[in-house]
Amino acid sequence: MDLLTSLRISASGLAAQRKRMESVSSNIANAQTTRTAEGGPYRKKEVVFGSEPARDSFAEILEGELDEKAQTVHVTEVVNSDKPPILKYEPSHPDANKDGYVAYPDINVMQEMADMIEAQRAYEANVSAVNTTKSMALKTLEIGKN
Amino acid sequence: MDVNDKTFRALATSLKFREMRQELMTGNVANAQTPGYKSVKLDFEEALARATDVDGNLSMNASDERHFNVGGGGFNNLEPEVYEDPNGIVSENGNTVDVEAEMARMAENKIMYDTTVQLINKKLGLMKYALNSEK
Repeated sequence: MDLLTSLRISASGLAAQRKRMESVSSNIANAQTTRTAEGGPYRKKEVVFGSEPARDSFAEILEGELDEKAQTVHVTEVVNSDKPPILKYEPSHPDANKDGYVAYPDINVMQEMADMIEAQRAYEANVSAVNTTKSMALKTLEIGKN
Repeated sequence: MDVNDKTFRALATSLKFREMRQELMTGNVANAQTPGYKSVKLDFEEALARATDVDGNLSMNASDERHFNVGGGGFNNLEPEVYEDPNGIVSENGNTVDVEAEMARMAENKIMYDTTVQLINKKLGLMKYALNSEK
């Protein structure tokens, strides 16, 4: 338990938001993708956040309650949305079915942009927390330095 | 003069608890979007004030080392209060973190931390001054 633990917690927040950003940009880039490796149109990716106690060694586990309460965050899983694809009538498209309909992923680009802004703001909040922690740690070094 | 006097120990304890608070707050900010996460807070001011007891109203004289030290410090077994914020607004995914309030509290905590460090330095400076006054 110290300021370095705080830094680690903020770093976990940064990493989680970065992963979220990855899936958001993947969703935007593939908003019109009709062909994927696993077959069918692209499916929207959604990240799921989970928290866990901030401790990484046995000594810290022994330290007790506070580290139980101070939680890091991490992406527990990335799920593929099971929303049905949107069918568009495009008979000349190579991926059209026998009735002439093409399955496009059901991705709302506006919603993805909003998600992106949320991820960005959360990232910034974590960066600012890192800076605060860092300046506190540096201030500690000034004790007795006059 | 006792170098490690009550003031000094109170300042050191304050630094320690502010560090803990910083850790909890970074955890809250990091988990601002985690479903079901509950914001945690730490209170130590009252406990520290009781232990410090600047006015001396609560302290009792101890004439024997086996006497309990009442109101005269007790910094070593001082425990802060860590609890889930009961006033947090629950969002639709069960999260109670208010990032803006958290950042504001973090700024306050940092200022108070810096102030405490400065007070320690001032106190050290006084001692240094006393030591050098013969020259």
